[in-house]
Amino acid sequence: MREGEKLKKQGVTFKRVIFWVITILVMIGILGPLLWIYLTAFKSSADIFAGSLNRQLIFTPTLENFKRLFVQFPFFKTLGNTLIMSLGSTVLVMIVALPAAYSFARWNTGGGHILFNTIASRMFPGVVASIPFFIVFRHIDLLDKHIGIILLYMYFNVSFATFLLYGFFRDVPVELEQAAMIDGYGRFNIFRKVVLPLVLPGIATTSVFCIIWSWNEFLFAFLFSRKVATTVTVLISSFWGSIDVQYGTMAAGAAISILPTLIAAWFMQRYIVRGLTFGAVKG
Amino acid sequence: MSRIDVNNVWKIYGGNVVGVRDLTFTCDDKEFLAILGPSGGGKSSTLRMLAGLEEISKGEVKFDDVVVNDKGPSERNIALAFESYALYYRMSVYENIAFPLRAKGLKGKEIDKMVRDIAEVLNLTTILQKKPGELAGGHQQRVSLARALIRRPNLTLLDEPLSHMDQRLRAGIRAQIRRIHEEFGNTTIYVTHDQAEAISLCDRILVLSNAEKQQIGTVDEIYNRPVNKFVANFIGQPGMNFLQGKVHSQKSASVDTDEGVKIIEIAGTVDPKYIGSEVTIGVRPQQITIVEDKEKGFNLMGSVKIVEFQGDTSILAVELNDIQKTEIKVVIPAGGFKFKRGDFCYMDVDPEFIHLFDSAEKAIIERNA
Repeated sequence: MREGEKLKKQGVTFKRVIFWVITILVMIGILGPLLWIYLTAFKSSADIFAGSLNRQLIFTPTLENFKRLFVQFPFFKTLGNTLIMSLGSTVLVMIVALPAAYSFARWNTGGGHILFNTIASRMFPGVVASIPFFIVFRHIDLLDKHIGIILLYMYFNVSFATFLLYGFFRDVPVELEQAAMIDGYGRFNIFRKVVLPLVLPGIATTSVFCIIWSWNEFLFAFLFSRKVATTVTVLISSFWGSIDVQYGTMAAGAAISILPTLIAAWFMQRYIVRGLTFGAVKG
Repeated sequence: MSRIDVNNVWKIYGGNVVGVRDLTFTCDDKEFLAILGPSGGGKSSTLRMLAGLEEISKGEVKFDDVVVNDKGPSERNIALAFESYALYYRMSVYENIAFPLRAKGLKGKEIDKMVRDIAEVLNLTTILQKKPGELAGGHQQRVSLARALIRRPNLTLLDEPLSHMDQRLRAGIRAQIRRIHEEFGNTTIYVTHDQAEAISLCDRILVLSNAEKQQIGTVDEIYNRPVNKFVANFIGQPGMNFLQGKVHSQKSASVDTDEGVKIIEIAGTVDPKYIGSEVTIGVRPQQITIVEDKEKGFNLMGSVKIVEFQGDTSILAVELNDIQKTEIKVVIPAGGFKFKRGDFCYMDVDPEFIHLFDSAEKAIIERNA
């Protein structure tokens, strides 16, 4: 009996050790780069390139990287561009994806084929679409324009958003809508008063996904902008020059521009867990 | 508040699946009609067509002699309580009940009075501020009923409203539903697969099976004059017993037994064309009397296989002495004979309670009312 208990205890301890080892490894994988970014952002160039580990970790913090970033580079302008493009494209995405997803979920519009094709547009590498888009954009003068990049982001996010929202709409029991129909509400009011409140967590989750994707997007912003519509990701990449790599400025830019996505991810985790598991009818 | 006429209505899904076949019936003003049948029989399709949630493929539905085929659910002024309650669970009970009134554009004070009135009737006053999710099934269904009834509908449709409740609650809510029906003077159509509910609640029962109307009538008619074998077996617990026999004369049937041909008298007459043809003889388990004396003009005999004690009654499974060795069920009062496995028993059936069905399973005895 005692022997058994001992073994059991050992088993529990062993499990706990494995759990923590894996957790720590994962945390290092996730937090390591973040730590590097934030440490580097506050280092002077001399400290960045210092050989000893001691100086890598213990140094005098400086704001010179931020100063250079703000003064010498159009950081806030590009950050503003990123903000405009993320929010603008997300609003447009929602305007298209909400009714589309509702229609797919409620009436099986297109018998599943249209929905599949919508999702299929995400199945090839995005870069494949870049050349045709580039040619079209050049002809209709959308290169290096905010609206051009917003449209591109919308193109990439609509399918994904439609598919996510489709799942949320599917969870809304059709009886609720029928009850409202019998109660005397029209289609639009049913959507607004009955369906929308129920899919609000879904809309929040989807929007945050879209914003994060657009915020982090680099390839298309890089290809389709030159001066006016450059985003912060493009600016940060430009610090990797042909002569030297400005690690400090790069880290400072990254340190600021990843903050919103970090906050969004933190905010979202509650919603994702809850939003995906809500059940409506059963009491 | 309305008389409902359903005339030759069909529901065809996807071009070839028949949900409802050529259905005709009438539900009178202030009547409480049950639509009873097994799952997949067409009950829900019928209900949804009445509600306007499902398109009518063929035929017409009239409310007070006005064809409503093309009217939407909100234009028909009906109420529908869903099996799943379909409450708006983000809103309070109060808001759920007030929801239909808001659609009508009523003002706060009127709404408040009406909500409180109906809450009073349904005993919901104390839970008006709660969310549906916090309530038990019985309460939720009452909220759903309150929401359905607050508009004083022409027709109240109840779709298996009690199916998610436990047995004890059901009886209570059943009585409440009937009371509301009486108090409000509603026309109510109640869909259920539970015959006990249909029998205890309704003025008349429409039996639907296989997408078709089997029979419509009062409980007495359905129970004692089933028009076909399906209804005979579906209604009653346990269902009707069947055994093979022949039409002997216009007033009797015969069964081949181990002891020769046994003649069974019937009340009413059978068309002479049936004489000599094979029929199914039907007898309800509850309408068989066990007799001690073999000479007392018994109809059937057999040996007891299983005794199922039910409290106030016992159900015997009896193997008859006909050549098919048919097993039938007999319900006897618990206090009477004590039977055990293997006992032999004689059974008597009033000619009134003998039913005959032809090969097409239709009842063939003509009786005078």
